[in-house]
Amino acid sequence: MKKIIVLSLVLVCNFTFATTVKDSISSFTFQRLAMMEDFDCDACGCSASGGSMGFSSMLNTNFVGIRYFNQSYTSRDGIFANSPWIDENFNTVQAWARIPVSKRVQISALVPYHFHNRELTTGTESISGLGDISVMALYTVFETQKDSTVFTHKVEFGGGVKMPTGRFNEANNAGSVNKSFQLGTGSWDYLLVSEYVIKRKNLGLNTMLNYVIKTENEQKYQYGNQFNYSGTFFYLFDLPSVQIVPQLGFAGEVYATNRQHGLDLPNTAGDILFGKFGLEVGKDKFSVGVNGMLPINQNLSSGAMEANYRWSINLNYSL
Amino acid sequence: MKKILYKAVAILAITATISACSSDDNNESVSGTGKIGLKFDNSFGSNDLILETQGNRTSNNEVLKITNVKYIVSNIVLTKTDGTTFTYPKAKSYFIADEATEAGYKFILSDVPAGDYTKVKFGIGVDKEQWQLGASGQGDFLAQAQAAGMLWNWTAGYKFLAFEGNFTSETVTTAIPFMIHTGQTGTDYNYTEVTLDFPTKALVRTNISPDVHIITDLSKILDGPNKIKLSDYNMGGMGAMIMGGAALPLITANVATMFRVDHVHND
Repeated sequence: MKKIIVLSLVLVCNFTFATTVKDSISSFTFQRLAMMEDFDCDACGCSASGGSMGFSSMLNTNFVGIRYFNQSYTSRDGIFANSPWIDENFNTVQAWARIPVSKRVQISALVPYHFHNRELTTGTESISGLGDISVMALYTVFETQKDSTVFTHKVEFGGGVKMPTGRFNEANNAGSVNKSFQLGTGSWDYLLVSEYVIKRKNLGLNTMLNYVIKTENEQKYQYGNQFNYSGTFFYLFDLPSVQIVPQLGFAGEVYATNRQHGLDLPNTAGDILFGKFGLEVGKDKFSVGVNGMLPINQNLSSGAMEANYRWSINLNYSL
Repeated sequence: MKKILYKAVAILAITATISACSSDDNNESVSGTGKIGLKFDNSFGSNDLILETQGNRTSNNEVLKITNVKYIVSNIVLTKTDGTTFTYPKAKSYFIADEATEAGYKFILSDVPAGDYTKVKFGIGVDKEQWQLGASGQGDFLAQAQAAGMLWNWTAGYKFLAFEGNFTSETVTTAIPFMIHTGQTGTDYNYTEVTLDFPTKALVRTNISPDVHIITDLSKILDGPNKIKLSDYNMGGMGAMIMGGAALPLITANVATMFRVDHVHND
């Protein structure tokens, strides 16, 4: 079913492309193949927050856009072997932008809106609202300038802040196992990001490492710090009128233990490794991307929580 | 360009500083009193207990369907991080845990001095000293125990644990009842105490009421250090009734091993 939805969305988007004004000269060149926009969907809706989703544009460095992503989890609602497993659906629509302020510095912003639901035995529980807004600066430390070299490299570092604009409701953390059924962490969190892209002709590899430092919120709850990593191969088919970029890689997330009143909360640490795949299509100033992630190996909440899949679709406009 | 790099480094440094001084607020002044809840969540092995319908298998291959579980929890003593203890006032320190009722699930202690607690000690049953106060010395608890069916009569005393249902086994193919009632016998008093460590400190404050989630593994009643086979107590095919005799001290020793603290909520 999900596959059909994804496919139809792709078709719809392609159709949209087909109707845009034809421009015989593509506005994209290989040089514009960008680094991935990686840092999180630090969603919330997320202890397994999707910090490594890293979806974004391989095609345009600077853009404004909108992205929808869905995360599916199954969590055990209770502490016993016969406690029921419940489905949790995390949905996010996110406006995002990456805007250059100088040749080497870009500012990025993410404004998420979440609508999550889960099927408890007592009925469906839903939350929705503005999530945590992130703002960060990225600095290009190194970039190969000559076109003649076989390999080109680009290294970026950045840092930023995630603001507690999403509501954190302590009650949501009381009963169930998944401690991330929230709109926000409720805390000021800090992001450290690094990216490295290496390319040879039309083939590239994007790797990223980032770290999220989470602080204690007003309700004395503190999510564990989060380490995200990913590596994604991409290939550019630079056709006369469109660019098509298939992507394949992996992404992982490692979560430290959550704390409350300064005390460690058992069974809240974890890690997960995903395989990821996607396709991005660019034409003129627009690009559309579709991505999917499936877990390869995971250990979340001591096995009391399982990620099933994630997928996303985005539409970007190049600046 | 260097300037920008310096700025970036400065931002990172500030970020690190801010996040470094997040939470060392355990030395906030602790005073006043608060509440703490003891939740008694019954399980059979690793499974949550479901009354009536769930078949629970013992190591002796007997399958129990449990219809009634009650036990008296008493004489609560909480231990703080520094080793000092708080004894809950004896007059208020009796509680009947009951799988079938909401009121029998959580025992809320009030007027507990604020502090960081690491252990709880409690008794199963009513201690001899209290019983020796006589019927008039029991306060409201006597009527409460009577209403719950946890009193034989005054001379025979309280039932400390009532564990009832029906069972089948290799030799008993049609389900027959079982009843285990512990309490004093002519030779043994059978009151026992347990001490449980908390996996996380319970922070009692005027504005924090921790809940200590205790799991009571009922399979231990028969499958503790002493293995009890219900079929051995099947009197003339009418059912296994264990309410006295040499089995009670063995079961009491088992009961002392059936509790553990799964987690503590500091909400």
